[in-house]
Amino acid sequence: MHALIIDDSRTMRAIIARIVTELGFETTEAENGQEALDVLEGGLVPDICLIDWNMPLMDGYTFVTRVRNEPRWRNVTLMMVTTESEHSQIVRALAAGAHEYLIKPFTPDSIVEKLELLGLAAQEIPA
Amino acid sequence: MTVVAEPALGDLHTVVEEVWSTFLADGNPILPADGPSEDLHWTAAITVTGEWEAQISVILSEAAARGVGATMLAIDDEACSLADVRDALGELVNIVGGNVKSLMPGPSVLSLPLVGHGDITPTSDLTPVRRLDLAWRGEPVVVVVHVPSQGSSSTATAT
Repeated sequence: MHALIIDDSRTMRAIIARIVTELGFETTEAENGQEALDVLEGGLVPDICLIDWNMPLMDGYTFVTRVRNEPRWRNVTLMMVTTESEHSQIVRALAAGAHEYLIKPFTPDSIVEKLELLGLAAQEIPA
Repeated sequence: MTVVAEPALGDLHTVVEEVWSTFLADGNPILPADGPSEDLHWTAAITVTGEWEAQISVILSEAAARGVGATMLAIDDEACSLADVRDALGELVNIVGGNVKSLMPGPSVLSLPLVGHGDITPTSDLTPVRRLDLAWRGEPVVVVVHVPSQGSSSTATAT
């Protein structure tokens, strides 16, 4: 399985990549929504995109709406991973087509739990 | 109208402890400091605008800042570059700020973080209302929340 990690923080991309790599995912990283769209346009079709909200150039919400408007990417699972925790924003992201919403700070277990809900958890993280 | 409100000190402490225990769990808890420190070299700040307005800052010593970068990136302190420190501190204040924002009246939005080696001086209409003096690995970590002064123009502006 393949995860596209979209966050303007290299630190956060590294944290998420460590977790999902241990779960058996291959990973690709993008610094913002536009760069992630470029990756998709380049032909990569990941199983899941893990998407920050606040990013320069193109935010995560805009990325979700753009992906959901493209039928060729309809099978890509979209999960917001963000500090934006206001109810109205969660509703907005889900309405735009995000499948799940994970609020920072998160534990590895909380990522596993969300991936299981989405039917994407490959394996448990070794202790 | 923008709401002038302040997070409870206990809530602020809980947010910081949760962030530290999640992303900086290296066996060293973040604890109350014995007193204010002047050994502070890095500042990461984020601004909240909307129904609640504030600036939230995390201020650290050189060693604490490098430790944050190294721990979050899972590398040795010596291998942690200035770019690593800047990126990690930006994400740290983003998470702290986002979680403090969630405790306050909304809707509000977060800015992108600003990180500097030195002070990041808030605008003159902001007043510090909460300050946590903490220690991690024996190094100082300070968290400050600034909000608009009562009667300042930003608090009287309809949003």
